[in-house]
Amino acid sequence: MSSQSPYLLVSYAQTNRVLPEPYQRVVVAVIVAALLCLPAFSGDYFLHLMNLCSIAVIGAVGINLLTGYCGQLSLGQASFMAIGAFTTAILAQRYGLPFLVAIPASCCAGAAVGFVVGLPALRFRGIYLAITTLAMHYAIIYVLTNYQAVVGPSASAGITVPAPSLGGFALTSERGWFYALLIIAAPVVIFGINLARSYIGRAWVAIRDRDISAETSGINVPRYKLLAFTISAALAALAGSLGAYFTTVVTVEEYTLELAIVYLAMIIVGGMGSVTGSVLGAVFITLLPFAVERISEALPWQLGTTAFGIQEAAIGVAIIGFLLFEPDGLIEIYRRVATYFERWPFRYHEIKPGGAR
Amino acid sequence: MTGVAAPLLDVRQLEVVYHDVATAVQGISIEVAPGSIVAMIGTNGAGKTTTLRAVSGFLPAEDVAVTDGVISFGGQSLRGLLPHQISRLGVVLVPEREKLFQTLTVAENLDFNLTRKRQPIRDAVFEYFPRLAERQKQIAGYLSGGEKQMLAIGMALVCEPRLLLVDELSLGLAPIVTSEIMTILQSINRNLGLAMLIVEQNAAAALRIASFGYVLENGRVVFKGEAEKLLMHQDMREFYLGDSKAGSYRNIRQYTRKRRWWG
Amino acid sequence: MELSVSILALGSTYALLAAGIVVIYKASRVVNFAHGELAIVGAYVFHSAGFLTGTSLTGLSLVATIAIAAAGSALFGILVYFALMRRLLGRPTFVAAMVTIGLAIILKAAIVVFFKSRSVGIPIGRQPLYNFAGGGRITWIELISILVCIATFAALAVFFQYTRLGRQFRGAAENPLLAAQRQVNINLILALAWSLAVFSAALAGVLFGSRSMLSPQSTIIGLSGLTAALVGGLDSLRGAAVGGLLVAAATYLTARLISPTLAETVPFLILLVVMSWRPWGLFGTVEELNRV
Repeated sequence: MSSQSPYLLVSYAQTNRVLPEPYQRVVVAVIVAALLCLPAFSGDYFLHLMNLCSIAVIGAVGINLLTGYCGQLSLGQASFMAIGAFTTAILAQRYGLPFLVAIPASCCAGAAVGFVVGLPALRFRGIYLAITTLAMHYAIIYVLTNYQAVVGPSASAGITVPAPSLGGFALTSERGWFYALLIIAAPVVIFGINLARSYIGRAWVAIRDRDISAETSGINVPRYKLLAFTISAALAALAGSLGAYFTTVVTVEEYTLELAIVYLAMIIVGGMGSVTGSVLGAVFITLLPFAVERISEALPWQLGTTAFGIQEAAIGVAIIGFLLFEPDGLIEIYRRVATYFERWPFRYHEIKPGGAR
Repeated sequence: MTGVAAPLLDVRQLEVVYHDVATAVQGISIEVAPGSIVAMIGTNGAGKTTTLRAVSGFLPAEDVAVTDGVISFGGQSLRGLLPHQISRLGVVLVPEREKLFQTLTVAENLDFNLTRKRQPIRDAVFEYFPRLAERQKQIAGYLSGGEKQMLAIGMALVCEPRLLLVDELSLGLAPIVTSEIMTILQSINRNLGLAMLIVEQNAAAALRIASFGYVLENGRVVFKGEAEKLLMHQDMREFYLGDSKAGSYRNIRQYTRKRRWWG
Repeated sequence: MELSVSILALGSTYALLAAGIVVIYKASRVVNFAHGELAIVGAYVFHSAGFLTGTSLTGLSLVATIAIAAAGSALFGILVYFALMRRLLGRPTFVAAMVTIGLAIILKAAIVVFFKSRSVGIPIGRQPLYNFAGGGRITWIELISILVCIATFAALAVFFQYTRLGRQFRGAAENPLLAAQRQVNINLILALAWSLAVFSAALAGVLFGSRSMLSPQSTIIGLSGLTAALVGGLDSLRGAAVGGLLVAAATYLTARLISPTLAETVPFLILLVVMSWRPWGLFGTVEELNRV
């Protein structure tokens, strides 16, 4: 070992590395390899779950950027996803546009709506902002409900979306979807990580922690707040659009307030203010109902409808459990373990910047 | 020291740490004899307010912890007790900020803890602070600074304290108001025999009514003694009481003036 | 005349819900998103308790049922505080709000599990009381709803304004640390707040269930209660009463005069209007906005 400490950083490039430690690079390489080989070893059911996770990851990254990094508590996630889904459905089914046009268009539609929903954020904070976004969520859903009633074959049947196709090749298999979603979700995650590390991400964190100080430091707070809403809504719309193609039918009933809360749960569980946390949280929450179902099936006694209730309650238990006992989410557990081993044999004592803000 | 009798408040080797990294108070030992006024003086960041808060359990964030030391009041340890328990024992703090309920009226503030037994003390508050009597129905938030301080002390008195902790009462007050309130505190001490621990940046005002004083710097007690002796002490006068032995500033700056080859 | 009676009855339900939300908000700056669920759980418990004491729900069995439900809801409020909310003291209030969202999810699932998602009704006082000249009528339960609401608000007002505990409550709401230093046990204050809130929620739920059918979906009234609280001002009891009436009037009139489906969205539309025009509500203190 050279005489220089591995923690001594001597160049700007060194400080900017995303994966500074060798073991981190190994871990990422292993994960990438595993993901690429996954379809070879798993059946369609498992791949289907993974695909749901991928879509959720995209949405979770979006809301984490808005709520976790920028501190804007938003309950409008579901409405943004609905906008994306409906735009895709209209463009693909009604106008027959290919997915290469429909998906970006949906993102733009989401971004536009996100911008509008973000305007109240310039006035409110905290709970009042959440309630304002809630009101706008209902407004958007109301409009879409009426649209669906008028346009769809019947009021609740929704709009069918043809499978995305390129040339003559249509995307219908779980395996194909797996790679397609991977190709989209991975850049989104990398985009999120880089955005968080950039001056934009730092501005967001400054706004989250104390926006008055951020403003006096010269950060254009309205601009960054609106940027957060726009990007977050665009990502949510992307998730909604992909979901529309994936499930091939779009109904407004699936975009409920509960869905927005589910996404909040993802970032609570995963870790607010951490893009990798979003990934962890998205996977955890997406798989949670299935895991609960498996566990309740494996139990020796018959549960009947109670099992359904437990499934529903599971997400509430997850939210409360993490908020009470591990408020920084799964990513914090990972960090604690990682720094324990990094600093070993020295004890690592985390300095937490105060309980109350 | 202050007397042969056992001290009412006995703080020994107190250590308070912020966020597990910054030690605000490093081994402070303070005694308050029954019925006496003790002053804690020092500049900002000396650890005076932290000590008071540690004694009264008023440490707001869970990140501030008393890591060492003994805090004993009348023989009972105060460490680990909740603020309302400490207050019920008779240790009542008049905080520096947020010292009263701004949205309640003056009367409601004083009645906050009123019981039949405490009615006489509550009436006595208006004798000590006649200005409050005129403003009973007024919302406390609209009082002047001096009146707010008076109300805060009055509220503390209604709680039947055995030891009154006053945190920087002179902050934001005109000197004449400060000395008025200090005089009233002195008369309360004489009439009720109420022990007081006063934290002050205005060293002169505090030492004038106190019988004993501690000087804090950087979390330690650097000087202590009877108040008259402190008032007379040369170093004290220079550093805290604004009196310098040198005739002009040119001589004082000897310590800090940069050495140049020409003198 | 029947129109105004129905609006008053509905408004009293919303006002009671709003009052519970306001009490918790006044005490701890936490917005309770689980209020609707608490109300419906209370109503279901009342219904089940009715079975325990005899299915007739009159006379002695009614008194016993009321006693069980009242005590149970008050105790449940205390339980919610000590088990959940107490651990969140010192954390930002939106964390507590999200915990209440989690609680709402669990309660809704619990309704489905324990009451098997049947629609039930509480058969009290459905009999008509008085027939008006114009052809309308008022039932016992509508009158009871209005009277109970007025009584509750009066009791709360007297409590907060004129009793020592009420003063301590208000002081603790403004400055918990100072209140603690003035010998007030903050835990008791907050537990009391939650107890009052859950009790009033259950009360509102029972009154609601006596006029309409209960089902797990009924928890949506929580949103109307929250809207009513926001319209009136989250920290104003007076506002809760007024807000409840306004939301009830808007909802009922929309359902009658325009369309029932639009009436479902009326609370949200009111929310939008209130948030844009006067976010701190009609009677709320303005600075609340910057506190969160």
